[in-house]
Amino acid sequence: MSDKKHNEVTRRQFLNYTLMGVGGFMGAAVLAPMVGFAIDPLLKGEKESDFVYIMDVDEITNEPQRKTFVIDQVDGWYESQVERTAWIYKNNNGDILALSPVCTHLGCTVDWNSNADFPNEFFCPCHFGRFDSNGVNIAGTPPTEPLHQYEYQITDGKLYLSGKSNPREEA
Amino acid sequence: MRRGKGLKFVGDSRVIDKETRDKIPKDYSEYPGRTEAFWPNFLLKEWLVGSVFLIGFLCLVAAAPSPLEQQADPNNAAYIPLPDWYFLFLYELLKYNYASNDYIVIGTMVIPGLAFGALLLAPFLDKGPERRLTRRPIASSLMLLAVASVIWLTYESVASTDWEARAEYSVTNEAPQLEVDTSDPGYEVYQANCLSCHGDALQGNAPVGPPLVEITYEPEAIKEIAINGIGEMPAGLFQGTDEELDLLAEFIYSTVNQGEGGASETGDDTEE
Amino acid sequence: MISKIYDWIDERLDITPMWRDIADHEVPEHVNPAHHFSAFVYCFGGLTFFVVVIQVLSGMFLTMYYVPDIENAFQSVKYLQSQVAHGQLVRGMHHWGASVVIVMIFLHTLRVFFQGAYKKPRELNWVVGVLLFFCILGLGFTGYLLPWDNKAFFATQVGLEIAESIPFIGTEIKTLLAGDPEIVGAQTLTRFFAIHVFFLPAALFVLMAIHFIMIRRQGISGPL
Repeated sequence: MSDKKHNEVTRRQFLNYTLMGVGGFMGAAVLAPMVGFAIDPLLKGEKESDFVYIMDVDEITNEPQRKTFVIDQVDGWYESQVERTAWIYKNNNGDILALSPVCTHLGCTVDWNSNADFPNEFFCPCHFGRFDSNGVNIAGTPPTEPLHQYEYQITDGKLYLSGKSNPREEA
Repeated sequence: MRRGKGLKFVGDSRVIDKETRDKIPKDYSEYPGRTEAFWPNFLLKEWLVGSVFLIGFLCLVAAAPSPLEQQADPNNAAYIPLPDWYFLFLYELLKYNYASNDYIVIGTMVIPGLAFGALLLAPFLDKGPERRLTRRPIASSLMLLAVASVIWLTYESVASTDWEARAEYSVTNEAPQLEVDTSDPGYEVYQANCLSCHGDALQGNAPVGPPLVEITYEPEAIKEIAINGIGEMPAGLFQGTDEELDLLAEFIYSTVNQGEGGASETGDDTEE
Repeated sequence: MISKIYDWIDERLDITPMWRDIADHEVPEHVNPAHHFSAFVYCFGGLTFFVVVIQVLSGMFLTMYYVPDIENAFQSVKYLQSQVAHGQLVRGMHHWGASVVIVMIFLHTLRVFFQGAYKKPRELNWVVGVLLFFCILGLGFTGYLLPWDNKAFFATQVGLEIAESIPFIGTEIKTLLAGDPEIVGAQTLTRFFAIHVFFLPAALFVLMAIHFIMIRRQGISGPL
């Protein structure tokens, strides 16, 4: 009997627990929809991107050519056309590369052959990141991975790019 | 002094507790040291300091208009980003080899995390009762080192930035807005050949392309430049037929010279 | 007349102890710049608060013209600083105040650190103070984007890339901050606006209240 009494919850404790429970419910019920609201960007899946005609395959040279193309972009309620830039060329193996100029370090823009000290390289002016002629980051410079490659399709000798660029596997 | 459950305050100067305070005469003359009432005596002094500070601040505000650069243009590929000055040290840190490349996590997470974490938890890392700098050499030398490196990194970053080139980004250098007739056949040619460097309204795109709004060239000269380049503009940027070239030159010429009556050759921009 | 109104209110609410607690406490000699010139180092905290007040006021007024929308944000900032009466001054106060508040909070932190004023029993107040520092840095980062000029846009992009480099959760953090996995655009601006104008100031006010209450409870640390 005395043991039982020891485990009993007093009236005051019970009221305290109930108060915390009700308070927790009120807080959770108010905040739950708001949390979902705030993290909506995480819940939305990946977006599809259309392919855009860029150039004929036989125009692609070994020297990177800067090509700009326009894609439709949907940013929430704001639909716009944005310009994308690609460096397009064939590497020594004859593979077609369509590289995004976005530096894989912190997202500045690289340029081909722009720094006289580093010929035939992609150079990023922000933190002096460099990429070799295959778009692979040069060891000892800040970037962490090769330049990203645009998704591309070739139909009837024509090169199409989508606005989406993906990391490349190590060359 | 002691209060409540014997809590001991290190180097404490706090006001004596209420019972004692009520016995202090209003002029505080019996209180040790030259203390004074917060209101209004001390606050007056603080506000005097505040006023001097405010004058200096307002002079700064009046003398230096707050900077505004040209409207954000995600397509501006030539823009070199620069954070606000108080983040420069972090930005500079990421230039170093051990803080980038495969170790980028060290630069973005580990070093700032350790520094700010240590700052946050300083009272629990430096627990001794000593307050003087010289009596806690580890804490104070670490702090001095941190402050020195922040100042040095900021300095390095400032020194390696080309401030004159950055001044060109300012909105005050923005070219006047021109009415562009996008239905002009020449506009399409312009779009294909020139827009990426000279902007969609001939306003330029610092620092790749200068604005065209105030050029004084005749159409023939414009054609010449489009083909052969000028200054830093390389030759061969224009890719199109001779007819397109004519359209382009007329488009640029008429747009630039709009509003000057009769100067336009195409005559389709008589609105202004 | 005024004293009668005061008495009427005091009789019902007993408000005298509230202001007496603030007004009547004695300020010791060693923090008083009138007695020791070196005591000016104790002013940095108060000046930080002063600039924060300027920031809050000027920020409130800026929102009378500013719109957080990528088409209009830049135009509204340009308009308010070039066309609106004293616009240059009000935006200038907010812009330069942001820098000055960082300088002041930095000096205040150094003063407290080098005087060892964070020692027992004031550890918690130091922690709250550092949290305030983070809040201010967050306000600086989010406020930087709002004019939507090139500087703002590209610096924010770099900032988001830095967030993305955090292992495991970096991508999610970036998406949450930017409002979109890839685009820094309309949704980023509204998010940063909400954080800058509502979320961080709310945290700032709460932390400041705690900071000040703790100072009153514990008093200023004694002279070295």
